Amino acid sequence: MNQEDRLLLEMKNTSELMLDLAYSALIYRNRDMAKEVIELEDRVDKLHEMLIRSALSGEEQSYDRGLIIIKISDSIERIADAALDIADVVLRDIDLHPVVRKSLDEADVVMIKQRVEPKSILHGKTLGDVKLATETGIWVIAIRRGNDWIYGPDEGTTISAGDILYARGPDDSEKKLYSWIKAK
Amino acid sequence: MRRAKLEKELKEEHGEIPYEQTSVRELLTLMKDTTELIVDLAYAAAAFENRELAEEVRHLESEMDKMMYQIRLKCMLASRTMEAAEQMTGILQVASSTEKISDAAEDMVKLLDMDLNLRAILPHILSEADEKIHTIAIYPSSDMIGKAIGQLMIESHTGVRLIAVRRKNRWIFGPDADTKLFANDLMIVRGVESGCREVRDVAHGEMPWSEVIR
Repeated sequence: MNQEDRLLLEMKNTSELMLDLAYSALIYRNRDMAKEVIELEDRVDKLHEMLIRSALSGEEQSYDRGLIIIKISDSIERIADAALDIADVVLRDIDLHPVVRKSLDEADVVMIKQRVEPKSILHGKTLGDVKLATETGIWVIAIRRGNDWIYGPDEGTTISAGDILYARGPDDSEKKLYSWIKAK
Repeated sequence: MRRAKLEKELKEEHGEIPYEQTSVRELLTLMKDTTELIVDLAYAAAAFENRELAEEVRHLESEMDKMMYQIRLKCMLASRTMEAAEQMTGILQVASSTEKISDAAEDMVKLLDMDLNLRAILPHILSEADEKIHTIAIYPSSDMIGKAIGQLMIESHTGVRLIAVRRKNRWIFGPDADTKLFANDLMIVRGVESGCREVRDVAHGEMPWSEVIR
């Protein structure tokens, strides 16, 4: 992978995280997560610009490759913008219509939130250790630890008792994550 | 008739407009579900240079436009007060975000009309993403055959979501829980690498599904 591939990949991963965070912020009326979406959007804008510059400089590629990179990057940037629009709903002080939450709760992919209990088997393990994504389809998008946040945790992120996990997954995720959190 | 319908709707109290509310909710759920599918389909269409997948992206995008129009109508009919109107702006903003996403997805598949060598570039990049998109064929020896996706609970056990299934000359886009799997089906899936590997091993008959659940 060269530099451009890595930038494009970071954009894709970031845009997906942004959407998840935006929906989660909407459901839990969480301004912190909504603000993070704004931060991430800045990052996506920067990446987009870097990619265009690099693609146009044409130093390491053909004209075709440059065009593909620019088009994909443009689409991803627009997806990130859409996530920003959703986060904006959270940040404008308007009562959210209950229908929004209900509709999101019934989607194929649901957003969930749970606190890790003191004796949970998740305590002290990394996300990679517990293989949550592979074993349950649950994807942790953010962790709230005291007053701190970990956005887009990775396999090396350690889970501690008291953490609040924000995640997305298939419709049985809530029950599944609950059983993991309860398990001792 | 239209007028009668409008009057009926206007008569309903603010905050409890059962029929219309249900519809808005269903539309919004469907729009969100469609965005999940359409983006994955767009990446897959571009990476595999597949025109049928691209066609479905265009189809879904036009469905999204229709849903957006419906949701606008319903929200306008339901707002009689300032508070209601404000709440409706929130609904409309979420809905239009999903529509924006589907537009972006549709734009992505326009790459297929540009006579570019996408295969040389995109699969290489997408194979490194957090969640990857793969094609997996179901071999006749697999014990997934004859089972429904919901019965296997593929996503809950592996984190792998089926985006589309190709059966002979036909496509099933966004298959649901009741969709059964057959020998020689080609699945387009999205998921983390280890989950995709498990699904591939079972699909290739190299491992029983029970091993995945254990």
